[in-house]
Amino acid sequence: MRLLIVEDDAEAGEAMTRGLADAGHGCRVVPDGEAGLAAAREGGFDVMIVDRMTPRLDGVSMVQTLRREGDETPVLFLSALGEIAHRVEGLKAGGDDYLVKPYAFAELIARVEALARRRETGAVQTRLKVGELEMDLIGREVRRRGQEIELQPREFQLLEFLMRHAGQSVTRAMLLEKVWEYHFDPQTNVIDVHISRLRSKIDKGFDRPMLQTVRGAGYRLDA
Amino acid sequence: MRLPRLVRTTAFRLTLLFLALFAAAGGAFLAYIYLATAGEAARTADATVLSETAELEAIYHVGGFSALNQAVIERASRTRSFLYLLMTEGGAPVSGSIAASPMPPPAAGRAWASFRVTEIDPRGTQVRRAARGLEERLPGKELLFVGADVAEAQSYILRIVDALWGAAALVIVLGLAGGLFVSRDVSHTMQALTGVIDAARLGDLGARAKLRGTGDELDDLARGLNDMLQRLERSIAGLSHAGDAIAHDLRSPLTRLRARLEAALMDGAAGRGDPVVALRQALDEVDGVLRTFGTVLAIASLEAAAEAPDQTDFDPAALAADVAELYEPLCEEKALDFKADLVSGLCLRANREFVAQALANLLDNAVKYSPHGGAIALQVRRMASGEIELSVTDNGPGVPEAERERVTERFVRLESSRHQPGAGLGLALVAAVAQAHGGRLELTEGDRAGGPGPGLRAALVLPGAGR
Repeated sequence: MRLLIVEDDAEAGEAMTRGLADAGHGCRVVPDGEAGLAAAREGGFDVMIVDRMTPRLDGVSMVQTLRREGDETPVLFLSALGEIAHRVEGLKAGGDDYLVKPYAFAELIARVEALARRRETGAVQTRLKVGELEMDLIGREVRRRGQEIELQPREFQLLEFLMRHAGQSVTRAMLLEKVWEYHFDPQTNVIDVHISRLRSKIDKGFDRPMLQTVRGAGYRLDA
Repeated sequence: MRLPRLVRTTAFRLTLLFLALFAAAGGAFLAYIYLATAGEAARTADATVLSETAELEAIYHVGGFSALNQAVIERASRTRSFLYLLMTEGGAPVSGSIAASPMPPPAAGRAWASFRVTEIDPRGTQVRRAARGLEERLPGKELLFVGADVAEAQSYILRIVDALWGAAALVIVLGLAGGLFVSRDVSHTMQALTGVIDAARLGDLGARAKLRGTGDELDDLARGLNDMLQRLERSIAGLSHAGDAIAHDLRSPLTRLRARLEAALMDGAAGRGDPVVALRQALDEVDGVLRTFGTVLAIASLEAAAEAPDQTDFDPAALAADVAELYEPLCEEKALDFKADLVSGLCLRANREFVAQALANLLDNAVKYSPHGGAIALQVRRMASGEIELSVTDNGPGVPEAERERVTERFVRLESSRHQPGAGLGLALVAAVAQAHGGRLELTEGDRAGGPGPGLRAALVLPGAGR
């Protein structure tokens, strides 16, 4: 993937580039909003990582301008800690996801990959298939090797999200945000309990577990 | 030149303005009275002069010049109300009460004149009095002058005018005195307020303005000022407390982190141990610190905001069911008996995310402190007061009554809960959410049945929508 990073802190930009390169992505870092605008207009990026507060032109205005010009490249906003009202503002301006600094690197990569994936599968799907696992989105049915699995509505949503991002790490925060639509940090790791419940339903009785725990990151559904 | 302080006050300036307005209105009133009555007096004088002239003309028509002469002589000696003068065609006086006509003789017909007569009054002083006169050329070319004194009427008007001037002077003096009194009163109150503001500026937030109990706008101002200072004092106290608490709470994990990194470095240099394990532990430590830091910032910004941002209308029962669903597997894992009693159809206006987080914190606490196999009850209801209450009741050890106030403060943890994970910020956040919505957090005894203590009932009470 080619990524555009708009970040005025050179050190942070370099750390990001190195980490993302390890994950197999090419990055171009620009130090301010105006340079970001110019680079984005050249095109060819899969995802843009934009700091909310950049010199010359702030990230939010930059993304607003791009959206007005019809640029639909997914945007992940980065923002400083403790600015609660800013998430809504960023998403209103046309951002697709939001991450608070400082963040875990696994979180950044997981979110960037999720954004790129979402773009690929733009068409409306009625069936999802990951290996032996099949999901009928209209009939609300899940089968593994043809054997029906009973799921609660929330478990269904959770599995749907995991299947849409199969092969990718998804973090606990992402699950809480995308499946439950909460943006706070529950003190106890409630997500783990939900995952272990889901795991017991889809993996129990089968020789090979599909739902993996990724250390330091979160979970991954493998085919 | 600096004017005296009192004279520079707003109240005094307003008094002056009103006095000036009053004086202008009074002047206009006086001028109108004067013009109206003076004109009336002149018209009355003219009418009497005309009727007297008509009488004399009648005598002339009947008896001719000699009869008129007789009548003039007689009337001039009998009355002092009129001035008479009968003259020959050339203007030489024949008879009458004055020596010469005060006006040039008309060629024909009649002419009016205003003039003044000079008299010696009984005290011997010379007085000039206003008069009106009519001179007429008679059919035989002789001249007849009849005049009347208008001074009587005019002096009456002048007396009224004098009285009005006196009244105006009195009004101005009283007005100025009243203005000074009022401005002194107002400026005293204002000085007290300014004193409080000055004290606050110099760092003393404890000063308060005295309320006079009059309920007027100055009292409102004083009350507003006091309220503002109170909030300021509290939030500054909160900030410095949070600062201390953060420093205290971050010091131990940061110290641990430093020691761990140093040990890893030494181990690495000596070729012992696995640096990856040490780094991983260090990262966990940092994440813990960041989590604490983020919560403290969220609490602080909620406390600083007058009102929670992004408020929408929603059904609190739906929200509670949603959050409960998040915690339900956790309850199941601990074999807790979870009951929900949610009255639906209510409407709450609040920041959904914050209320969800507050409720999540309450449920989290309940799950954490309930004994294995205990019971948790979630309730949403409308209170008799119209407020909406979201409560979580457990049958855990509870919080002693004396500690209930304290546990909603940041970083306060009961001795008995030290072994539990957490930074002591859960209830502080709930309290901050309640406060940012104009509500409150109430802690009471919970459910005693089957538990190790009295249990805890934590209720988030928020104003209903349609406030």
